[in-house]
Amino acid sequence: MITSGIRQIRRYFPYLVIALLAIYVLFLAPAVAGFFIDDFLAFIISVAAVPLIQIILFMFFFYLVIFPISDTLREVKTGQIEIFLAAPVRPSDVLLGGFFGRMPFYAIVIVVVTGTLTALLRPLGLGVAQDIVMIIVFVVTFLSAFWIGTVIAAILRTRLGRTARGKDIGRALSIVIALPMIGVMYAIIGGGLIEALVNPQTSGTVRTVLSFLPSSWGAEIFVAFASSPGNIAAVGFETTTRLGGLIVFFAAALWLGTKVANRAYSLESMTFTASRAKPDGLFYNTVRQVGGGGSFGTLLVTSFKDYGRRLENLSYLFYVVILVVLLTVFLSDPFSSPTQPLIMMSEFAIPMLTAFAVGTVSRGKDTLFLYKKTPNGLSRFVRAKLLQNWLVTTPIAAAVTGALTFLAPEVTPISLLAVVVAGSLRAMGMVILLLGFALLIPVFAEESRERMFGVVINFMLILFVTIALDFGFSRFGLNFRTIVPYLDPVTATLSNNLAVTAIIACSGALLLYLGKRKINKIE
Amino acid sequence: MKVVIQTEKLSKHYGRGGQIKALDELDLEVYEGETFGLLGPNGAGKTTTVRLLNCLIKPTSGTAKVNGCDILKEENNVKRVTGMLAESPGLYEKLSAYEFLEFIGALYDVPNDILKERIDDLLKLFSLEDRRDDLLEGYSRGMKQKVLIAAALVHDPPILFLDEPTSALDPRTSLMVKDLIKKLAETAGRTIFICSHILPIVEELCDRIGIINQGRLIAVGTVDEILGQTKTKSLEQAFIALTGGVEEKELLAWREHRAASA
Repeated sequence: MITSGIRQIRRYFPYLVIALLAIYVLFLAPAVAGFFIDDFLAFIISVAAVPLIQIILFMFFFYLVIFPISDTLREVKTGQIEIFLAAPVRPSDVLLGGFFGRMPFYAIVIVVVTGTLTALLRPLGLGVAQDIVMIIVFVVTFLSAFWIGTVIAAILRTRLGRTARGKDIGRALSIVIALPMIGVMYAIIGGGLIEALVNPQTSGTVRTVLSFLPSSWGAEIFVAFASSPGNIAAVGFETTTRLGGLIVFFAAALWLGTKVANRAYSLESMTFTASRAKPDGLFYNTVRQVGGGGSFGTLLVTSFKDYGRRLENLSYLFYVVILVVLLTVFLSDPFSSPTQPLIMMSEFAIPMLTAFAVGTVSRGKDTLFLYKKTPNGLSRFVRAKLLQNWLVTTPIAAAVTGALTFLAPEVTPISLLAVVVAGSLRAMGMVILLLGFALLIPVFAEESRERMFGVVINFMLILFVTIALDFGFSRFGLNFRTIVPYLDPVTATLSNNLAVTAIIACSGALLLYLGKRKINKIE
Repeated sequence: MKVVIQTEKLSKHYGRGGQIKALDELDLEVYEGETFGLLGPNGAGKTTTVRLLNCLIKPTSGTAKVNGCDILKEENNVKRVTGMLAESPGLYEKLSAYEFLEFIGALYDVPNDILKERIDDLLKLFSLEDRRDDLLEGYSRGMKQKVLIAAALVHDPPILFLDEPTSALDPRTSLMVKDLIKKLAETAGRTIFICSHILPIVEELCDRIGIINQGRLIAVGTVDEILGQTKTKSLEQAFIALTGGVEEKELLAWREHRAASA
């Protein structure tokens, strides 16, 4: 086995990690910080320092809270709880045990972040005492966040893990939970959030809310030290109250967490209500007719139901649409032509949308065997999957492309229609390629975490293919504007887009053929 | 009697150089209308045999005919005449029992009017009519097993492969399934191929039994013939005599070190 060599040296891994962390904190972080230090120093004494440090620490705090939650929700399992409850162990000990058990991994994150921030502080000339206080501030803030996340994750796991529906909700939440943080990040990068916070007239509420968060108390110490480096006594009051507040907050969070542990570990059923299937309405009847109405129509509807009844799948679609909205609002420049939204959609949103929708094809080999044991089952499986994914992605791609194009200047009904058709065709072409790829290198994962890995690989592939084709052709002068100089820019861009779509679809058809052969051989 | 399943040196090997012989040169004949039981310890090759005969996997060497169709050349014809209850079957958990059976029926191209009626009858037979619209994710293991048996029957195939058909079923349903298997064989003339660890069920239902161990068929015949071959009094004793067992003195050996140090 390839990994057997690694296994032999596994016992040395902890020492290796400690050594790497030490190298990072002592040498790498100070060296990297040195490059930015002039700008950083100027910034730290500027008026924007407090809100920015507040936001940076808030984002770290928020991320470290949602990390354990998202990780737990992705695959909610309650089997272990039964073992714990059967053993003579207190629930609070189980919760603390879980927290401290994961501590080595959290410690790596904390050391890296703390090391980086401490390196950035060094040129301020802080005294040893101030350095130590800052390290304590970072460690206590991040540990508080991890602990809060661990407690919330344990409670959610128990609440959601009791029913299949709850597990489904958990998986869906694990995907969209990061969206608020992405929104804040985009608002900082391109939305002028910092500028707004610096302005006292426009940012009063946000600043007040931020100041109540424990992450801000650390930021206030940080800025106080920057104003009087090497002299901790000058800012003794601020330091004592903020640091004391942080430690009290952490202690209170620990105490409260262990108190609610009994609620977090319970197998009492909250509901006996089972999810029921409703009779097929207009939507499924239409889908059945799209599939020809007969046996294949039933297979298509089945594939659709299995997809649509999983909230996880719908949350992926929601995630992509919200991401496009955030990008458009905060990051993209105002559109200058009707084809610009199509380019943005083709390069980023449609690849992500199709990769998330196609997923990993089958949740497990056993489901695939349902088709394999029937006459012509695999061919029908592939056809049903293709049609189902087209039906999911094409309307979304068309609607989002259409809505964005509508905002662009000089849009005519014809150009709007042409762009929407091009966006829809791009989505259809990408579905063929992704489905082919997913069949060729199948990931039969039951667990959401493993499936996500497969989806990300597919997304990377399609993104690479798209960028390589779109920009590659343009780079080598292979575009319709060069070939037919009298074409207007809109028609030329549309033609280029359609040509790339055709290449994607043809490559996809080949992969689909090879993938079907591959999956037929799987045992 | 007409032979409906016939294997010729059917083999399936795995691993580098085919070191692991999941099935080794199986020669077997099963007759029309017969209930045949394949017995064997865990990992003996029972599931591999069933998967080969259903064209889910391909043999390393040898071949077989199912209802006169070659498993290598006439895959679709073989699949059309067989129904299969797999050992670890896939289920669409987001479908209701009715929807799942409708889906399986569609895979076998059962005409719509026959399918709807048959699903209703099967759900009633397995006492699932009240929960026909509940999603399968909320079903217990036994209820899922009922749905899967119904799925194997939904296209009414002439040959049925049942891998552990009564595992996870309550005694009442287990009795019903046994009666159903008997009726299918005796009245409807179906050929049934059962794999099971539960010896009394095999003894009660099967006309003939095959015992397989480490991929090789080591005995085949009626229960009486096997008892005669092994000079034993029960099928359990015959099974142990053929496949080996644990000696009595080994049963509590795992406690000895702890008892000594306690």
